[in-house]
Amino acid sequence: MAGRWRDLGLAALGLLLLLLVPVFGAPPAIRDFIMFGMAYGLLAMSLNLLIGYTGLVSFGHAMFFAAGAYAFGLAMQSGKFSIPGAFVLAIGFTALMALIVGAICVRLNEIYFAFLTLAFQMLFYNIILGWVSFTGGDQGLMGGIPRPKFLGIDLADRTQLYIFCSVAFVVCIAILRQVVTSPFGYTLRMIRDNQERAAFLGINVIMVKLACFVISACIAGVGGILLTLFVSGAYPNFGFWTTSGEAIFMILLGGSNVFLGPLVGTVILRLLNDITVTYTSHTELVLGIVILVLVLGLRKGPLDLLAERWENRRQAKAQAVRDAADKDAQAGRDA
Amino acid sequence: MLKLENLKKSFGGVAATRDVTLDFADGSLSAIIGPNGAGKTTLFNLITGRFPPDTGRILLAGENIAGLSQRRIVRLGIGRAFQVASLFPTLTVSEALAAAAQAHQRRETVLRSPFPLAATTKQGDEIMELLGLTRVAGILSRNLSHGDQKLLDIGLALALDPKVLLLDEPTAGMGPEERWRMIETVQRLWRARRMTLIFIEHDMDIVFKVAQTVRVLSYGSVLAEGTPDEVRTNAKVIEAYLGKSAHGTAGQGATA
Amino acid sequence: MDLDALLRCVGTTSCVVTQLTSGMIIGMLLFLIASGVTLIFGVLNVINFAHGSLYMIGAYAAWTFYQLTGSYFVSALGAAVAVGMLGILFERVLMSKVYGSNVLMQLLVCYAVVLISDDLIKIIWGPVPLSMGMPPEFRLPPIRFMGGVIPPFYLFMILAAMAIGLLLWLVIVRTRFGSIVRAAAINGPMVSALGIRVNLYYAAVFGIGSALAGAAGALAAPVRSLTPGMGFSILIESFIVTVIGGMGSIVGAFVASIIIGLTRSFGSIGFPLFVDGVMFLIMALVLIFKPSGLFGREHR
Repeated sequence: MAGRWRDLGLAALGLLLLLLVPVFGAPPAIRDFIMFGMAYGLLAMSLNLLIGYTGLVSFGHAMFFAAGAYAFGLAMQSGKFSIPGAFVLAIGFTALMALIVGAICVRLNEIYFAFLTLAFQMLFYNIILGWVSFTGGDQGLMGGIPRPKFLGIDLADRTQLYIFCSVAFVVCIAILRQVVTSPFGYTLRMIRDNQERAAFLGINVIMVKLACFVISACIAGVGGILLTLFVSGAYPNFGFWTTSGEAIFMILLGGSNVFLGPLVGTVILRLLNDITVTYTSHTELVLGIVILVLVLGLRKGPLDLLAERWENRRQAKAQAVRDAADKDAQAGRDA
Repeated sequence: MLKLENLKKSFGGVAATRDVTLDFADGSLSAIIGPNGAGKTTLFNLITGRFPPDTGRILLAGENIAGLSQRRIVRLGIGRAFQVASLFPTLTVSEALAAAAQAHQRRETVLRSPFPLAATTKQGDEIMELLGLTRVAGILSRNLSHGDQKLLDIGLALALDPKVLLLDEPTAGMGPEERWRMIETVQRLWRARRMTLIFIEHDMDIVFKVAQTVRVLSYGSVLAEGTPDEVRTNAKVIEAYLGKSAHGTAGQGATA
Repeated sequence: MDLDALLRCVGTTSCVVTQLTSGMIIGMLLFLIASGVTLIFGVLNVINFAHGSLYMIGAYAAWTFYQLTGSYFVSALGAAVAVGMLGILFERVLMSKVYGSNVLMQLLVCYAVVLISDDLIKIIWGPVPLSMGMPPEFRLPPIRFMGGVIPPFYLFMILAAMAIGLLLWLVIVRTRFGSIVRAAAINGPMVSALGIRVNLYYAAVFGIGSALAGAAGALAAPVRSLTPGMGFSILIESFIVTVIGGMGSIVGAFVASIIIGLTRSFGSIGFPLFVDGVMFLIMALVLIFKPSGLFGREHR
């Protein structure tokens, strides 16, 4: 139970820090950076629930990011929904989509899973591009997203929008934390480690994977909604394969074995992006080289290496306990 | 408790199990022996539903479980440990046992946290105590010694509270002294849990000393069955399986 | 949705001939790429997510060789050879380092290569789409057949792709090289225990697969516009083809390529908005009813 209170405390502290930013009148650039970071952070964090915790390497996660964004944007533009209504609708739509895609994909082996999710993402992307009358095609959802007041909250106001996004972001991170520390989260780890053995302990591997896939998609959908609110539009590249690739890269940059690793990766990638853009227009070239260096050089994210060290130290302690116990036992036998 | 009736299974025309009929009494401790390729592991795979038999029935407490999914069969109370320990490398011993227990108790909830829940911790602790794994509770499964890995594999199966426990060569890859310690542990848990326990074993000394009944498989069929003494003196067994050199080992087992 | 148009087309031989030809050129390009993907997967058990980039590089290389030599045949051959060598380099320097790792690492390496090659193309050839134009060798009057019109280059493309496919099949089924490759696909360590340098064969297979993509790029260059990123959509389609045909099966890739090619060409008349959807539907049905694909081995 102690762990849970600590986590909740940390979440509250994180929220407080985020909320302090506008109080201190940080420049808009910083606030924008944080808003983008929160939206893409949710994408990367939710993807890591699949990749890091369950061993499901999805290359199509951005489709749920885009699904949340477009569903929310279209619902708001229709004028028939309040913001909370559209929010729930968008999450519902994302969940339904994840259920269908997941039902087909989670039964497959690792390699098939990776590129089928990629393929479904391209299908979704092509639908967005092709259905011009509904989605605006490659122009995206133009004309702005209306932001009517609800419960006295006015998201047209930059500060209130920032607060709203921060709260939604921290709630989502807390939900993810709850998932990975719950018994269900350990079932996910069992499946990642050895799914045949997990099945042999009576676990319904396919249903658990599907549930995880849907949860993760919904969180990515929230990320998409936040981005839509922030940029007041939705664009096809939200659901393009490069967005999924970036999310995977964020996980690599941060580390998949540390809970907040992907968030750190998000910040690093966005900084890296901003820095390279000021020096060269060939950001992709730079990113590609960084990926190769990380993958072929370190073979792990930097935070993963730190986590590994820490784990090794704990293991050394546990092994010392065992060795002492074994020595005693041996002495007992000899006597 | 567990009854096999006329089980047959072949792979691509090659018969792996031919007409096996065996009966394991409730609460018995039985060994299955036989040369490599005799179909011992295949038999375990059939019982646990890894693949269905071509024909025949598998009765668990009178109910036919042949053809059910692996998961259903696990739920009905058949647990299994593997010849090569099948573990969760990144979970510690206590985590793995609690996770196995929660799978059995169907407590894989997202709503309660954190893992492990008290009920599953308790079950995991009991298993660690029973198997002598408490001293390695905090060690990751992948960092365990070979012997401890085999014990944890058995522990995972025990977390299912099985009525029937199948152990595929529990002493594989161990030195002589470690083998005896392992088999003592197996005997201890059999007594403590009063379950039907069936193990595959190559070491004749262990088999004849520990098992109540011994079944000999050869080329996928049952060559002989009976008490250790009956099997040891069975002419067919001596001729077909034990051979000359192995006969000596068996004799030593009798006098040991 | 215009199913009437589709029915009308099927009623006239001229339309059928035209659509069949365009379906076949789509299918044959897909086949060349998919057979590379499937060959590499079958032997090395990795998915080359960067295969589309090799196709793109093949097209650009053919364009440059054509500017230099003026001969289409020389430039097509040159593009195939160049991309094949590039593939070997890619395999030796990058992919071979992540064979043992999980899919995530392989995916990231390919992702990096796609990013780098897209940007390099922009640097070398510029971001503006290029077009090669019809080479003089094929500036011939179109062939008339049963009321339909077939450009000579289309016929050449289809025949060339089929010839390459047949050659590939013969190499794999009939030669010593092919039997070693097939053995390595089933059990690499065993083959290497026999004293055969498996790594060389892995590199060769990767090279052949890449050369096929390069050849596809060269064949596409006269009829497609060359853009950075042109490889990606064809990559997805070639994946769909390999799933339908069965991973590791060249014959499967051939049949599935034709299915997808014809779906595209006839679908663009009858249900232009749903062509992608229908392709995915076919794939989903195959996955549900025969997960190993039409011609695939059962999962190992």
